[in-house]
Amino acid sequence: MRAQIVSSVLRTAARPSVVARGARAVPFAARASSSHAEETFESFTERYVNFFKTAEDLFEVQRGLNNCFAHDLVPAPSVVEAAVRAARRVNDYATAVRVFEGVKEKVENKSQYEAYLQELKPLREELGLTLKEELYTSS
Amino acid sequence: MQALRLARSAATPLRSTTSAALTRRCLATATANPVEVVSSSTSATAAPVPLSNIEALWGKLTPEEKQTVHEQLETIQQKDWKELSLEEKKAAYYVAFGPHGPRTPVSQPGDNLKIFAITAALVGVAGAIYLGIKSISPAPPKTMTREWQEASNERALEAKIEPMTGISSEGYKGKGFVQSK
Repeated sequence: MRAQIVSSVLRTAARPSVVARGARAVPFAARASSSHAEETFESFTERYVNFFKTAEDLFEVQRGLNNCFAHDLVPAPSVVEAAVRAARRVNDYATAVRVFEGVKEKVENKSQYEAYLQELKPLREELGLTLKEELYTSS
Repeated sequence: MQALRLARSAATPLRSTTSAALTRRCLATATANPVEVVSSSTSATAAPVPLSNIEALWGKLTPEEKQTVHEQLETIQQKDWKELSLEEKKAAYYVAFGPHGPRTPVSQPGDNLKIFAITAALVGVAGAIYLGIKSISPAPPKTMTREWQEASNERALEAKIEPMTGISSEGYKGKGFVQSK
């Protein structure tokens, strides 16, 4: 176990990050403090839509969901749709339900969640997706 | 992230050894019970477990039966999701993300009331100890009365003690020796 931890730490340390690679290309006159590349919401959305379109198995889908929902933003409806379709592709109903549960956690208030549900209603009807609150009506 | 990497590295040797039915890598189940997956490949012929009330049954199932349920659900979820019954949907969700294994809630319902009652009882015990000690302790000394302290003030003024800044100084506003009510 210890050897595994050490090896994964070393692997992480050895992997050059995207930011570092970007900084190396820039001439040294650039300031180090504020030179982090900032990803826009649109490119974030595009990145995760592509990720979910190419995710090959349940592990990848759930890993992508973990990463996607870890940011300080609510994923766009297109990302949610791509994630749900990825869950359909790997045949995991529970993950599809969980995506909507994640959206419910991330939004600021109920009306935003309602807006998401309204926006994605055709998708839910197409796939026969039931929400968690519809599955467990009492709680 | 660390746990995720470990889960992935733990899953990799398993995948190479077990049968094709178990090629599915899964965060939810792989982290919950990796032992289960190892022991499972032989039990594909076990009797089917009813999915209708899996929430109540899940805690009592053996690892083999749980694996059977996983396999049952896997085949069920390959169908068109519109054909799934509510029980099957609930079972699929419960097995993957229900409050068991690593998702067991930290506190049970009613725990808050218990914590409050025990805390209140302990505060009550402390109060009882305070009152008990106070009841058997001797009376405060005779100097701790207002009369005595006012007399001390008079005596201090007579003797003109602390004439610069203290009780005998000009325009003194303080209470002098008086501290009891």
